[in-house]
Amino acid sequence: MNERDDVAIDDALVNKAQQLFDESVNGLDGATRSRLNRGRQAALSEVSGGARRFNQWIRAGGVAAAAIALMVVWSGNQELDIPQVPEVATDMEILLDEDSLEMIEDLEFYSWIDLDGDLEPVSNVG
Amino acid sequence: MNAYAATFTVSCKAEDRREVVTLQREARLNRFFVDVEKRALRIAEISIRDRDEALDLVQDAMIKFACNYAGRPDAEWTPLFYRILQNRIRDWQRRQAVKNKVMVFFERGTGEDDYDPIAAAPDTAGRSPDQELQNEEVMEGLQGALVALSGRQREAFMLRMFEGLNVAGTAVAMGCSEGSVKTHYSRAVHSLRETLGEHWQ
Repeated sequence: MNERDDVAIDDALVNKAQQLFDESVNGLDGATRSRLNRGRQAALSEVSGGARRFNQWIRAGGVAAAAIALMVVWSGNQELDIPQVPEVATDMEILLDEDSLEMIEDLEFYSWIDLDGDLEPVSNVG
Repeated sequence: MNAYAATFTVSCKAEDRREVVTLQREARLNRFFVDVEKRALRIAEISIRDRDEALDLVQDAMIKFACNYAGRPDAEWTPLFYRILQNRIRDWQRRQAVKNKVMVFFERGTGEDDYDPIAAAPDTAGRSPDQELQNEEVMEGLQGALVALSGRQREAFMLRMFEGLNVAGTAVAMGCSEGSVKTHYSRAVHSLRETLGEHWQ
């Protein structure tokens, strides 16, 4: 038996094995096919279940982000509602100015100057 | 505020797109499983000689594949699926070997007495009972010869011939080099020829 015969025998064997296998696959009974179908559906439900869980997380994240955004906007508005600084504070600012403090310290002197200015000149007396 | 609303709308649209992609992937997976499941079952069944267990293994492999590998390119699906299945088969065989050692005196009921109306239904392919019996006997012979092969030879032969994977795909499924696949396959054919040759020529 030469090499060509060997190859031919091997091919025949493989072809017959394939044919038998295909027949056994096509001849699977209804109960087996049904169980295969159920197994397939279970596998597919894992995919859709995983995607659904992912989408739920995304949705929850979106709601949380929207809530945070609302909080930020609300707290921003609160800052704008702070009452205007009263005018008294402006006076205080002037009073607390460095020059003003000097004036307060020499208040007696400035009062005397002021009083002296009110007196008539000596030449005019009499 | 409009900016936030716009962001939220974009987020919802992205979510819709994801759902569409998931549905498309599910449909592709469904087609893939329908195409491969029956051959996978028979390959598992020949390896472990128990249909119920083979069905469980195929289902496990489908779930594992759907959870972890569905995002891979479609061209890689078949070898990857069979790699998972072959790992499941090997694990099962290891467990069974241990179980057999421990439970020597335990015999499982085969349930052969249970009447199964679906199994008893007429053959839709129109084969006569004699033809069916003859085919079953020849198939039994083939299965016996396949079981007598080493695990790696059997895997190489079934993946190449029954599933139709090429050498590269079989190497991925078996987790070995292409050279090893060729060696295992060649030895498998040689052994089968020695076992079956006389009856099949």
